[in-house]
Amino acid sequence: MVPLNGTYLHARVAPRAVGTSKTRQRTRGESPVISAERPQGTSVGKSVRSHEAPRHASGRGHFVDDYRLPGMLHAAVLRSPHPHARIVGFDVTEALGLPGMVAVLTPDDVRSMSRPFAPGRYAAGLRTPVPEYASAVDKVRYVGEPVAAVAARDAATAEDALDRIVVEYEPLPPVVGTSEAMRRDAPLLYEELGTNVPWRGAVSYGDVDAAFREAELVVRDRLKMHRYSSVPLETFACIASADPTNATLTVWVNAQVPDVIDDALREGLGLRDVRIIIPDIGGGFGQKIHLIRKYVLITALLSLKTSRPVKWVEDRSGHMMAGGHACAQEWDVEAAVQRDGTVLGLRVRETDDVGGSISTLTIHFTNKLNNLFNTYTTQHLSLEGSSVVTNKCPVVPNRGIGKPGMCFVWERTMDRVAQTLGMSPVEVRTVNLIPSDQFPYQTPNGNIYDSGDYAGMLRRAMERIGYEELREEQARLREQGRCLGVGLAVAVEPGGRNAARDLALFPGIKGVSGSGGVNGATIRLERSGMVTLLLGSPNCGQSHETTTSQIVGDVLGLSPDRISVISPFDSEVAPWGSAAANSGNNFHLYDIGAAHDAARKLRERILTLAGHLLNTDPEDLVLEDGAVSRRSRGTPDQDGVGPSHAPSPHSPTPRLTFAELGRVAYGNQALLPKGFEPGLQETSYYTFPHAEPFVVPDEQGRVRAQFTFSAAVHIAVVEVDPATGEVEVQRYLIVSDNGTIINPSVVDGQIYGSAAHGISVALGEAFVYDEDGRLLTLTLTDYGKSTALETPRIEVEHRPMPSPFTTLGQKAAGEGAAIPSPAAIASAVEDALQPFGVRVRELPLTPEAIWRLIGSSAR
Amino acid sequence: MIPAAFEYSAPASLDEALALLSAHGDEAKVLAGGQSLLPLMKLRLATPGHLVDLTRIPGLNRIEQDGVPSAGDQRIPVPVASRLQRPMLSIGALTLYCQIEESTLLRQACPLLPQTASAVADVQVRNRGTIGGSLAHADPAGDMAAAALALDATLRAVGPSGERWIPAAEFFTGFFTTALAPDEILVEMRVPVLEGWTTTYRKAAPRASGFAIAGVAVCLRKGPDETCQEIRIGVTGVTERPFRAHAVEDALRGKPLVASVIEEAAEAVAEGVWIAEDVRASAAYRAHLARIYASRAIQGARDADTPGGLSTGL
Repeated sequence: MVPLNGTYLHARVAPRAVGTSKTRQRTRGESPVISAERPQGTSVGKSVRSHEAPRHASGRGHFVDDYRLPGMLHAAVLRSPHPHARIVGFDVTEALGLPGMVAVLTPDDVRSMSRPFAPGRYAAGLRTPVPEYASAVDKVRYVGEPVAAVAARDAATAEDALDRIVVEYEPLPPVVGTSEAMRRDAPLLYEELGTNVPWRGAVSYGDVDAAFREAELVVRDRLKMHRYSSVPLETFACIASADPTNATLTVWVNAQVPDVIDDALREGLGLRDVRIIIPDIGGGFGQKIHLIRKYVLITALLSLKTSRPVKWVEDRSGHMMAGGHACAQEWDVEAAVQRDGTVLGLRVRETDDVGGSISTLTIHFTNKLNNLFNTYTTQHLSLEGSSVVTNKCPVVPNRGIGKPGMCFVWERTMDRVAQTLGMSPVEVRTVNLIPSDQFPYQTPNGNIYDSGDYAGMLRRAMERIGYEELREEQARLREQGRCLGVGLAVAVEPGGRNAARDLALFPGIKGVSGSGGVNGATIRLERSGMVTLLLGSPNCGQSHETTTSQIVGDVLGLSPDRISVISPFDSEVAPWGSAAANSGNNFHLYDIGAAHDAARKLRERILTLAGHLLNTDPEDLVLEDGAVSRRSRGTPDQDGVGPSHAPSPHSPTPRLTFAELGRVAYGNQALLPKGFEPGLQETSYYTFPHAEPFVVPDEQGRVRAQFTFSAAVHIAVVEVDPATGEVEVQRYLIVSDNGTIINPSVVDGQIYGSAAHGISVALGEAFVYDEDGRLLTLTLTDYGKSTALETPRIEVEHRPMPSPFTTLGQKAAGEGAAIPSPAAIASAVEDALQPFGVRVRELPLTPEAIWRLIGSSAR
Repeated sequence: MIPAAFEYSAPASLDEALALLSAHGDEAKVLAGGQSLLPLMKLRLATPGHLVDLTRIPGLNRIEQDGVPSAGDQRIPVPVASRLQRPMLSIGALTLYCQIEESTLLRQACPLLPQTASAVADVQVRNRGTIGGSLAHADPAGDMAAAALALDATLRAVGPSGERWIPAAEFFTGFFTTALAPDEILVEMRVPVLEGWTTTYRKAAPRASGFAIAGVAVCLRKGPDETCQEIRIGVTGVTERPFRAHAVEDALRGKPLVASVIEEAAEAVAEGVWIAEDVRASAAYRAHLARIYASRAIQGARDADTPGGLSTGL
């Protein structure tokens, strides 16, 4: 593969990978990809003007809280002050007496008006079903768990009413840490399960024991990651409007995944007619996938109870307490290593602290299947897991879910191997990286890496950062007692979710409830000549409208600003499927695939109609500037580079504008070709065409957890103040392969944001509980989120290696830099503190944590 | 996170404000920018029944030097002692952090105040927060309090029975508590013009916009041969209230300002003081940071090359 060093790929690059090039073999026969009808424009690859930015920058975005319905009430949620308690009494008399109060939703209401949630994919390991309602009905299991809700004429009254609800609790001893929870005599969160460890399991690939027998040495470590989240600017928000006369329910909600809400409402309320509207979302990051369903259901119940629309907007403290945290994970790691640095095998034992709910029992474990072997050729690996329930906030997906953890395990191990063997961390990684001539590369657990040049990226990163010079500088500064460190992490970033992944873990589960993924797009050439695009997914700030308008614009020969992308998402209008999700890095695969296919179909129809009207063979027509015209003689075959089909000024070429075509298609039967269905609208549903093999797990548990594999090398240069433990990130470089880049600004934005988050996670942000199970970090100040002031400048260099599997060669970019950045910072801080012999085994590296590390090594 | 219901008044005069405070007693709370009070009210940690907003009262937002009249200012008698001893600066209680930060007069005559103001939170807070609000709120980690202590500021409070001057050293009495009576309003801070002094404010905070884990403000007057002639050190963030680090000051007076001497003296910064412990720092780490930051702040003041004072023509 030839990397296109440092340049953005334009549309023309992808065809080169497919068409006549003899230099590489494609791994499949059929090509849904770029063909003769590939995009003709050139907006792909350019940072065209954003569709979304003007409305957001001018305050014209529409978020849930911006909607007001006639007669709408406002809700507030009463939350548990106890980490663990039984609810024994409930008195709402005083609350109901408050002027302006309309209704209270009690645990009894929730039990009688709704059914518990089905366990779902995130709790795939749960053997004994445990009913979980939208709010606590018998016990509370974490501080902040919803126990009741009120609806009142305004939000302030609703909040006042909460103070007037009397809940009698019988406090139970809290179980805060995993080791405490796993003790035989530990109080049980779920008595019916008889244990606080509702799931244990393992996956194993290759022959791990043999690898350890063969290995020349074994490197061991104990590692930990902590609880954090993305704390999106917009907290959860929902409006529910029930129409009891028709048994219909409409909700406006800022959820990332419509089917989670759809299932929750249909199953929980027994309603058939549920409509979900998802307007602009102020940041998702995984936070708004799962726990949000509880609150949608609560709001819907209040609407059903009052027969009025009800709005609920979560407050910041509520979000910190109960909006969901990324899982705290602990690992015992053993690596089977050869003296040349080769890692033959890896044995990992993981303990996940999943908090006070069984509903997300295994997600952080199962997501490790997605990057289980990271960028390395290691063939033998076992991962054993235990999920432990504790009296803390339930865990939820967060940017990469278990993947930052798996990357942390790999990259800390690589540094440890380097230290043990006295090798450079760069050398150890280079020895183990999958060589660039091995792609597509199949990992032992069934993932197929589409494209990559990891060693080339690593070399480039070293060169750009000036690695050798930094080492010299480090030595000089050490003589003055200063601590400069250079850290490194390499990572794959998987994209495109496969719904069957979790089955790999649970051989007991028979049948496939879903596999691969489906999402759709609808495109229409309007009577006016405008083109309207309807996506199957909501948009939570990643510029989906901009990106897809570039893609379909190129297919239709239309400037992206002449394409209107419909917002908000409306479940009764959008062509959505199981992959309709702002999660799993799905957009680049499913949404782009569907939009591109739909545009191609529309293009065919436009050509057919125009050919008929112009009395020309469609083959001789071109689409350009919103019009169809006859290809002028002598023009070479379009290569996609720049406009070259301008009609000759001397011989006026017959030409039809899109508006003229629209008027015919929607209004002039006499002019339509025989058999031509009126209208110019097309819908496509996309599934990944190369999902086999391993779209469902085989007998060895091999499954394609995700379908495309971006990659990145991160280098962090830090200076640690050894007196205070404070860290300054002096440089942060990312060499990134996200496949064909459709919009450089958009991709860079994703990379900056995810890197900023991961760096902040490594250096300080954390949810902290005291020993009694009380959350101490209820505000953003205490939580320690980095602001723009602390975020270093992030240097990004692109080395795109187009995917041979996707429509335009594109790969994922959303979770991105959040996966390797915690590991890169850990590596850099450890390197800085090398004179103290410090080992970084856990995060976050707050100044105090670093000060303690230095202190303990000095003792 | 919606405050409990409250009444709001925006009196146009100090007398009117004082009358409102007297009338509403414990229920009343003064609003002077709201950057600390409103977050507490949103968390319902504070539930005042009546807010008295001072921002419409003329004359409380000003920065001036003694005897230099300023438009709209009602002349207020200055304590005789300070008038005789040295030129003074007067800062109205409703002066915004951003005004202090940008004041040319203060940058020259009392650089510690702009230095400290620019370390407060973020731009948004500095555009709204006031020095009087900050001092009267008496957050144990308030930045301006450390500066007021190091400057040996005097604070003027007005109450139903008239006005009184409170030295900064006596103002901060405990956790969020001051020497102000509930019916008194802080209206002015007076600080000396720092002729020949150098100053610094150094602050350990987990985030640039965060509260100090330890903050140290230093006013230093060097004698000949780089010795310490006079020094005043205000410390914040460490214990239940901001305080003067007298032990460090005493250990340095007359001593050469070399690193080893300063470091040794700084060891005493939190001696005998109960050290706060919270989610941001353990007591041990906080005490350690106080020592390191005290030492660094003193060295910073020693090395500062722009001593305060009034240049001619101001």
